[in-house]
Amino acid sequence: MIARVAYALRETWASFRRNLTLTAAAVLTSAIALLLVGATLLIQRAFENLLIQWRGDVEMIVFVRSDAMPDQIAYIDSSIRSANTIVDVEKLQYLDKMQTYEEAKRIFVGDPVTLSLLTPENIPSQFKVVPLTEDPALVRSLSEQFRSLPGVEDVALAEDEFQVISTLSQFVRVVTLVMSIVLLVVAVGLIWNTIRTAMFARRREIEVMKLVGATNWFIRVPFMLEGLLQGLLGATVACGGLWVLNSAWTNGVAGFKPGTGISSLIVPSGFLSGVMLSMLALGAVVGAVGSAIAASRFLDV
Amino acid sequence: MIRLENVTKRYGVDTFAVRDVNFDVVKGDFVFLVGPSGSGKSTILRLINRQERPERGDVWVAGRNINQLSDSRVPYLRRNMGNVFQDYKLLLNKTVFENVAFALEVIGKPGHVISRQVPLVLDLVGLAGKEDRFPNQLSGGEQQRVSIARAFVNRPLILLADEPTGNLDPATGEGIMALLDEINRTGTTVVMATHDHRVVNAMRRRVIQLDRGVVVRDQERGVYE
Repeated sequence: MIARVAYALRETWASFRRNLTLTAAAVLTSAIALLLVGATLLIQRAFENLLIQWRGDVEMIVFVRSDAMPDQIAYIDSSIRSANTIVDVEKLQYLDKMQTYEEAKRIFVGDPVTLSLLTPENIPSQFKVVPLTEDPALVRSLSEQFRSLPGVEDVALAEDEFQVISTLSQFVRVVTLVMSIVLLVVAVGLIWNTIRTAMFARRREIEVMKLVGATNWFIRVPFMLEGLLQGLLGATVACGGLWVLNSAWTNGVAGFKPGTGISSLIVPSGFLSGVMLSMLALGAVVGAVGSAIAASRFLDV
Repeated sequence: MIRLENVTKRYGVDTFAVRDVNFDVVKGDFVFLVGPSGSGKSTILRLINRQERPERGDVWVAGRNINQLSDSRVPYLRRNMGNVFQDYKLLLNKTVFENVAFALEVIGKPGHVISRQVPLVLDLVGLAGKEDRFPNQLSGGEQQRVSIARAFVNRPLILLADEPTGNLDPATGEGIMALLDEINRTGTTVVMATHDHRVVNAMRRRVIQLDRGVVVRDQERGVYE
């Protein structure tokens, strides 16, 4: 058993060195593909921070003053509900101070100055309103009406604040997703080709192995390990790249004025490590798939 | 040890490689398959080690019908067979010792078995002292001896040889035949495809003659004709 493992590792390493240029191409392509995948996930998460308050077709948020009385809140609630021709009452959602504070912690993750000014006491609570109508003018006039209610601090409209970013994020998401899928396919293809070349270079050895009774798995394993290694190496390079990019971005964003939307475009470091782990896993899968296809397809040399 | 029953193999629609071939080889036998190029000699060897499968008929090896063997069992079948070829099929980047050791290594034999068996078999084939040479530094006859050593190092039940003297001059060929004869005397069944008259006539062993895929003669202690 030890002899077999030693054999597989030795052969993997030898073949890896023999095809250095092809290997480098395969590793770099998978690195770029995986970097794109990782960047997509980060960008998505960053935009999500920005758009978190507007999830679920919320078009209007009524912020309630933090010192509002319970009967004022109840009045606001009934006012919104009475506009049931324009507002989808089923989807009306009230976030109390604590819930709003939890949400703020995510929104202001990259803006500790603003976050430190907020407490569960001084934060406004909020009603999230999903309209029934498609007509923005109707929603706007309703918002003017709500703004004048006692206890209301402000009314925010999605149209004013995040329509552009929402569209932009959608666009970026689609583009990067398509690009990373294409590049991943290319990476699988390149790893496949590298393994195929490695197997072709050793066809005499494979022929002899088959004739003396080596099992197919014994012959395959070193090649599959090689592909796996290429995928993992690519993922490692991609992780390094992503880390550098994210650090540069985080530092750059820190320079912006607190309280602007830009500062929420930052992801927590826990999320970054999660993304990196998925990149490593994806890299391993890409390498294993590419080499497994090649190894089973070209064993009959 | 080896039995072919009504074995037919075609390439394409009406090109018969072998047609209705029947013969039986007992353990320890030495058999020549003779006939012109394209008469089906190599196909029969490839049917016995299951590089090919017949279209009709059965091939039995060591009591098992190898056509019914699953692909995953084929390697274990082949561990009972040694193969020797006209072009040796040695690995040029490995030394004599490594070429022979390779055959044991890839079927998972541990190091201490390899370091014991390889020198023994190299001694048997007369290559003691040349362990560290590379194939290109050896004569044709010596290369064929390496290939025989590789085929025999696992002590197989059967040795299949496809024109082993085809690339060698008569004197060297005689040496190879003496070696195959010696291996046969250890109890190993030998099946050898050849069109080398001299070798066949000198050995006076069983001869199965093929013509366009059909057995036309099966004779104990035969000659080539």
